[in-house]
Amino acid sequence: MQQLPLAGGTSVNLMTRPEQARTVDESRAAPLEPASGRRTRVGAAAGVAVVSLALLVVGTVWSVAIGPTPMSIGAIFSAVLFGGQSTTAAIVHGIRLPRAVLGSLVGANSAVAGVIMQAVTANPLGAPEILGVNAGAALVAVASLTFLPQIAGVGLITLAFVGATMCGVLVLVTAGLGRGRSDPVRIALAGVTLTTLIFSVMQTMIILVDPSTSALFHWIVGGVNAATWKDISTILPWTIVGLVGSMALAGKLNLLGLGEDLARGLGARVGQIRVLGAGLVIILAGSSVAVAGPITFIGLVVPHIVRRLVGVNNYVVIPLCALVGANMLVYSDIISRYVDPPSEVPSGVVTALIGAPFFIFLARRHRTSR
Amino acid sequence: MTALATSVSAPPIARHMSRERRRRLMVIGLVVACVVMTVLSLMIGAVIYSPGDVIHALTGTSHNHSGVVITKFQLPRVLLCWLVGIGLAVAGGVMQGVIRNPLAAPNIIGVTHGAGLAAVVVVLAIPSAPSVLLPVVAFGGGVAAFLLVYVAAYRKGATTPARLALVGVAVGALCQAGILFFLVRYPSNVSSALTWLAGSLYGRTMTSFWEILPWVAILVPLLLRYSHRLDTLALGDDLAAGLGEPVERTRRITLLLAVALSSAVVAGAGTIGFVGLVAPHIARRLVGGRHGTYLPVAGLIGALLMLVADTIARGAVPPLEIPSGMVTSVIGAPYFLYLLAKTGKAGGQ
Repeated sequence: MQQLPLAGGTSVNLMTRPEQARTVDESRAAPLEPASGRRTRVGAAAGVAVVSLALLVVGTVWSVAIGPTPMSIGAIFSAVLFGGQSTTAAIVHGIRLPRAVLGSLVGANSAVAGVIMQAVTANPLGAPEILGVNAGAALVAVASLTFLPQIAGVGLITLAFVGATMCGVLVLVTAGLGRGRSDPVRIALAGVTLTTLIFSVMQTMIILVDPSTSALFHWIVGGVNAATWKDISTILPWTIVGLVGSMALAGKLNLLGLGEDLARGLGARVGQIRVLGAGLVIILAGSSVAVAGPITFIGLVVPHIVRRLVGVNNYVVIPLCALVGANMLVYSDIISRYVDPPSEVPSGVVTALIGAPFFIFLARRHRTSR
Repeated sequence: MTALATSVSAPPIARHMSRERRRRLMVIGLVVACVVMTVLSLMIGAVIYSPGDVIHALTGTSHNHSGVVITKFQLPRVLLCWLVGIGLAVAGGVMQGVIRNPLAAPNIIGVTHGAGLAAVVVVLAIPSAPSVLLPVVAFGGGVAAFLLVYVAAYRKGATTPARLALVGVAVGALCQAGILFFLVRYPSNVSSALTWLAGSLYGRTMTSFWEILPWVAILVPLLLRYSHRLDTLALGDDLAAGLGEPVERTRRITLLLAVALSSAVVAGAGTIGFVGLVAPHIARRLVGGRHGTYLPVAGLIGALLMLVADTIARGAVPPLEIPSGMVTSVIGAPYFLYLLAKTGKAGGQ
């Protein structure tokens, strides 16, 4: 059916015969259809939840099972459940399990940071890696490891938060958000350019301090390849705070999704929501960069996929994003080990290769506002 | 589009004269700066030599090891800086003119990283391939990336500067991920990794100079020959067509030549960013928007930028080396952000 604009509908009605008028009426009704489709699809949400939970369990077991030393499923379960002194148990506990767990946590963090960023900036291209937040966190992390080598854990994470905040604000200011209208493409472009700049400075620092390829790759692409339990205990509190906070903010983010004016009309304090959301993004993104480096494109890709599957209700989208994001990184990490066994590539390379085509698709799709 | 058509609104004759003189002075100053920077760049390395050493080395009358160091290590790099700077700047200027997009440049619209990816595949995955092939392969990669960008950014009969740039950056990110993949997949050392990630002239010999020279020596004059037609294109499609210009054909040929030029440069020096963006803008500021005038000036500015970047890269923290591409990024990225903010004010175009 032809899609007549609503405003033109009445004039068409006056001039056409009844049956044609009916088709016009149908086409007028059509725009309402997607609106009802935008509500949560309960069945789809339950399906996504079950499937991604199952995949996550399978992925974790798979991730623990592969590596230079082959292991049977039975040996893994006994090692996980009962511990023991065997080599298998040592490898599982010391190397492979932390890797899978950290992958889940960092993936969940990045994806949820992406959802909130997209909601707060009303920008489909909003994601910590696009808007320079990851780069800022990584820069400050590298700088503090360079100049204060004894720093670790909480101190490092706090500094990463500071870097993330500064760069995020800088991008928004450069792109002219302060002047009212925000153009998604322009903000994304500013963020990507600032990221390039920061990475240049960062790589220079790395070359001066630790000119080894592995250090370079860790801070350029990121990865959970060298995860330890210490990393997990560093990031876990922030993941919990971030996820709980995000769920608490979900209702307000739903209001914001109606548009700034409507949200204001319904009594939401838009500025306050934005600041709280930005704080959550910084906690989630900053903490994952501090332990795993700037892993890209999870925060951009996952929210779009989840919203397409289940609608836009953030109460549903946020937890599902956490699950799907965890899956994405765990499976990327698995792929990273199949590329060139027995050596491996940083898992961030895999997420970048998966996510970059999606970025192209989003960049193409979005209209530049005038 | 506004930034391109720099408002040359018929000034009074007296002011016109003084402007002409000012321009000539600027160009002369630029040439002097390039020469001085060349000598400085030859002097500065892990060890700093005197201008006398440089002259002795160049005339072959050197008595100590300085002659060997200068001619064997410094000279190829300085010569390469010239080629790379000229190539990138002219290519960037042509791209900005043809696409009528002030944000266009080889590294913004994906050409640099596309060419880099193709070159990395050849260098790392097929080490037996002859190195003369490298610019050709890089050209293939650059063209492929550019076509991908153009097709993806083209929607409903038009493409806005910002969207073209964003799609270009996205394609660049994809190619960068590919480069990273090959770097970690095939055993490589830090210096080669950095060459392809950030652009570095570290360890270049005269061989790479001779490999790129024909491309720059042929393509740059060819593009300059097109400068009148580029001026016509800048009048807008309708007017240019009315003046008898085959618009689409000229656009395709010049773009292809510009992509070839920047790809060849990438094959020799790695993925150096932002020179192709910044140099043409500065040149237009200095001498106005006529292609025949500003493309050569942009070439000089590009060479100057590269010389400064490479000298900083070598001389800042000897004996370590910073990739020169990082220096150009640090100089160029803020300029890009400034341009972005400026084009934003002009109504989103």
